[in-house]
Amino acid sequence: MTERGSSARRPDHLAAVPKPPPDAGELLRSVARGDEKAFGRLYDLVAPRVYGLIRRVLRDPGLAEEVAQEVLVEVWRTAARFDPARGSATSWVFTIAHRRAVDRVRSEQAATDRNLKVGAASIDTPYDSVLDEVSGRLERQQVRHCLDDLTELQRQAVTLAYYQGYSYPQVAELLNASLPTVKSRMRDGLIRLRDCLGVEVTA
Amino acid sequence: MTTDIHALVGAYALDAVDDVERAAFDRHLRECENCRVEVDELRAASARLADGAWSVPPPGLRDEVMTAIGRTRQLSPAAPAKARRDASRLRRLTAAAAVVVAAVGAGTAVYQVQDHRVRREQGIAAAARASEARVRAILTAPDLVTHEETLADGGRVTVASSRLHDAGVIVLDADGAPSSGRVFQLWTIRPGGAPEPVGRMIPGQTAVVQLVEGLPGVTDVGVTVEPDNAATTPTLPMKADVKLV
Repeated sequence: MTERGSSARRPDHLAAVPKPPPDAGELLRSVARGDEKAFGRLYDLVAPRVYGLIRRVLRDPGLAEEVAQEVLVEVWRTAARFDPARGSATSWVFTIAHRRAVDRVRSEQAATDRNLKVGAASIDTPYDSVLDEVSGRLERQQVRHCLDDLTELQRQAVTLAYYQGYSYPQVAELLNASLPTVKSRMRDGLIRLRDCLGVEVTA
Repeated sequence: MTTDIHALVGAYALDAVDDVERAAFDRHLRECENCRVEVDELRAASARLADGAWSVPPPGLRDEVMTAIGRTRQLSPAAPAKARRDASRLRRLTAAAAVVVAAVGAGTAVYQVQDHRVRREQGIAAAARASEARVRAILTAPDLVTHEETLADGGRVTVASSRLHDAGVIVLDADGAPSSGRVFQLWTIRPGGAPEPVGRMIPGQTAVVQLVEGLPGVTDVGVTVEPDNAATTPTLPMKADVKLV
């Protein structure tokens, strides 16, 4: 049996009825109660983005696999501490993944070894067409569209920090901009991204 | 820390700040409800960027993760307590934590950082590396609370705990080793319970980074000097008594 891909779109041989696409928040609530099967479904839903994000930041597939495993086990371990009032389940998972990837980059001081690839030109990451489910493709297109909506400096400040794991002083150096400017572009860039994506946090 | 700390909100949401700035911003967030809402929204926006980083995970990862969760105990849904912190102590610890994290991360760096004291104790570095990821996660937790006491004979012991992780880290850094045949011993004391020995040190050892699960339930962390065999009760007086509540 193939272990990757979105099992949610295949009839589950253990269930009497095929299930609808899983909702990450519901899955995470089940995971918090120790439901390993729910965790498997959550894995299928988030693992390509967790692994892809960490690999993007770390630039090392082997290390990315190790960190992705740590992150996913951390999701299992701390599922009960997820607070839906502060954001969506997927946002929570990717926040953990990003933070862990960035921590690893900083601790390994790998920044100097990595290519300084400025901009979002490398936004396309190879992915298996099996995984290219419709909702995923729409989400990617939306993110790309909204990134295009930022000013050049906003986009570079946000993507250098997020996809490459650079600190804002490093970003300032790369963009030859002042620290206050970079801090401002990160903030107003994210605000514009938030508005474009229609992100809502139900407090 | 600074008057315009909030200007860091974007960098903070992108994890583009250093440990000291993050700690300062976390403190700022505890005092500003509106700022928390803004951070949550900007984090939600930045997390959507993960949609643009889709990549096929290695084929073995799913099995590895499923096996790992099968032997990983989950945290209870206990609410994180309100963290009390002292600014100057926090800054010191954040710096110390960065050193420890850098040390355990880099492995050999521990020798440069803690020079002669640790050099003879290769076992410490090995143990630290084993729990490296967990220690790093705890020391960078948003709700990290730290306490510190000096040791009676010089040096200090720092206790950093996180309710979020239901665990903590004890960092012992003594100026000198106990007299021959005797060792430092760490103890945890819980309400209504007998002192429990934590970790084992060997003669000559003066520094340790000790991971303790469940540390937020502990009221005191004690340091004693004991004969070099497994002590079951602390020898008084203690060299340090770190009160956590």
